Amino acid sequence: MPVIEVSKLGKDFSAGRARVRALADVSFSVEEGQFVTLVGPSGCGKSTLLQILAGLIVATSGEVRIEGERICAPMPDKIGMVFQDPTLLPWKTALANVEFPLDLRGIDRTTRRKRCAALLELVGLSEFADHYPHELSGGMRQRVAIARGLAQDPRLILMDEPFAALDEQTRTRMGHDLLDIWAKTGKTVFFITHSLTEAIYLSDVVLVMSPRPGQVIDTIAIDFPRPREVDIIGSEAFGRIRNRIWHLIAEAPA
Amino acid sequence: MHRRIIKALAIAAAAMALWEAVVRLDLVSQIILAAPSHIVLAAAQDGGVFLHAFATTGIEIGAAIVIAWTFGIVVGVVAGSSYTLAAATAPVLSSIFAIPLIILYPLLMAWLGIGPLSKIVFGVLSGFFPIALNTIDGVRAIERRYLVFARSIGATKFQTYARIIFPLALPAMISGLRVGTGLVVIGVVVTEMLASLGGIGYLISYHRTLFNTGHVYFGIMLALVMSVAVNIGLTWLDRRIGLWRMREQAEG
Amino acid sequence: MGAAVAGYLTFAVVLLGGWELTARLALVDADLLPPLSEVCVILWQFLHDPRFIADLGLTGGEVAVAFLIAAPLAISTGFLLGERLHLAETFNPVVHFILAVPQSIFLPIFILAFGIGFLEKVLFGITHAYFVILVNSFAAVRSIPRPLVAAARVFGATRAQIYTRIYLPAMLPLILTGLRLGMIFCIIGVLLAEMYASRRGIGRLIFTWGEGYQVPQLLAGIVLVSVLTIAVNEAMRLGELHVGRFYARASAA
Repeated sequence: MPVIEVSKLGKDFSAGRARVRALADVSFSVEEGQFVTLVGPSGCGKSTLLQILAGLIVATSGEVRIEGERICAPMPDKIGMVFQDPTLLPWKTALANVEFPLDLRGIDRTTRRKRCAALLELVGLSEFADHYPHELSGGMRQRVAIARGLAQDPRLILMDEPFAALDEQTRTRMGHDLLDIWAKTGKTVFFITHSLTEAIYLSDVVLVMSPRPGQVIDTIAIDFPRPREVDIIGSEAFGRIRNRIWHLIAEAPA
Repeated sequence: MHRRIIKALAIAAAAMALWEAVVRLDLVSQIILAAPSHIVLAAAQDGGVFLHAFATTGIEIGAAIVIAWTFGIVVGVVAGSSYTLAAATAPVLSSIFAIPLIILYPLLMAWLGIGPLSKIVFGVLSGFFPIALNTIDGVRAIERRYLVFARSIGATKFQTYARIIFPLALPAMISGLRVGTGLVVIGVVVTEMLASLGGIGYLISYHRTLFNTGHVYFGIMLALVMSVAVNIGLTWLDRRIGLWRMREQAEG
Repeated sequence: MGAAVAGYLTFAVVLLGGWELTARLALVDADLLPPLSEVCVILWQFLHDPRFIADLGLTGGEVAVAFLIAAPLAISTGFLLGERLHLAETFNPVVHFILAVPQSIFLPIFILAFGIGFLEKVLFGITHAYFVILVNSFAAVRSIPRPLVAAARVFGATRAQIYTRIYLPAMLPLILTGLRLGMIFCIIGVLLAEMYASRRGIGRLIFTWGEGYQVPQLLAGIVLVSVLTIAVNEAMRLGELHVGRFYARASAA
């Protein structure tokens, strides 16, 4: 059974007197352990879709299921989230931030500490466990956020343009390290981005979304072998896929 | 370093001597300005009484602070948690704050007598408004992404308020707590001066009517000590909260 | 905007309605809380009583005189300190110390020195208003965008032009806020002095009523002073808003 099943998802917003259709008839599924990216132009409803997957907002029509169970509210033990803003708590150390979701659950200190220290090591920040967010760079903060997203050992990780606020080099490096982390943890990842390059480099499958109202125009399987090095971005095959997606989006009816 | 301390002490000593001389030589009437020796004399004569009064005032202030902080913060957090509620409450609170609350004291006198209770209630009234108003501001200023984050990790309402909203609002709250606490101290001492059974304010007034200027100054000094002590306590608290490094543009 | 109005209305209804109801239903001893209607009648009578008006006028006079003396003094001092920063550095610790100290405590000394007449109350009011206005005026001067001044000089603006076209609009908001706060503090100071030791004035009346358990009169006095001070505060706040907007437009031009 696929981990995620989205069928005929639709979402309308009322803006004043007008009704805005953000998503129309979106259907796809995500298998366990896959890295799937949703890519599309601004305003196409990517974030809306992610929020529905996260249980933060409710769809107007259709349904979304995780392991067969309907998603209508946040399910923190099954779904972890990483936002574009790391949104770390400024008064807590990196380690304490990672521990925070477990702390709220009432998990005892020793277990918490062990698990979260291991997560920090996974994202390469063991030395910075006692540092505060303002002492960390943007990329490091986002790593802490990723570790925090993994804290409750969820089946699915949702990532909402997590590297969009970083400079290009950091962004590329973070992508590479993310693939490392993903390989080690075997989680299912649903990733959202503007960047076609990022989408192709990271994923097994790229879902291409049309402009509003958002629909999945195409599903593209990315066959590059893993582990993937950053050089593949310059390859001809990569460029061809990129062009294909670019045209799909550019020519999609608005 | 040592030289600076000695220099400061020397200046202080000289100032004291000058002060003493000005009064002794009747350059300023003894009724208006008490000489240092008079103040020391007052302390020696009635030190015990003053200390007892200091304790009374201290307890009143302490109680008023605890209650004002609790009320102010709770009202502030509740009112601040919704845009509509905040927009409805803040202007009202702000307008009431313009009223010279001291005119309410005679009412408290009539209702609660002139014992510690009326002082405590007045102190709470004095401190409440700035604390509530600043807390509302602090809570409203919290960025939405923190609340979204809280929901995404399954935090309960209580957890969101206590572990995320409250600490995030704290730096903004602090200035309200400073102003409010200062007003609590003044409020208590002043109402003691107006009508009371005891406390530092009462003694100051009492000795004024007897023209015991030395005692008056001693009492005022003790009141100032109280005020400074509270201030130091607040600065310490301020610093500890600053340790949360919120002032720095921490978050990304 | 609508929410604020709703808030005021709700508050007024709850407070005044609750008051009237509580008193009428005799939930509380009538001596402690006479009905609002009764208090309003008394207030109405007061407003026709020349002696009361005289006391009210006296207090108003003390506040006005104190404010009119303190304001220009404080604004000019603030301006001077703001322009001559080396002076500010010397006086800053002193001013901050004075601000940290609760001035009301010194009332007994004021009385020992100046008695309990008009002068003493005015002086007390002045000290309360002065420092608040000073601090705000200082901040107002500091808030002037210096690059703007430099640019104006390069373009050959005269002193007068710089003062009216750049300084004034930039300083006005903070100065107006300082004046409003100064007025509030001034009123507090004068009322306190009257309540503490005075022969005449609304503060004295209120305190005497309190001491004598004349609750209806006391409440009438409280209601009147509350309404008046809120009115003054809101009027000044409106002034702040409008002048601020006007000069914002003017300086943008």
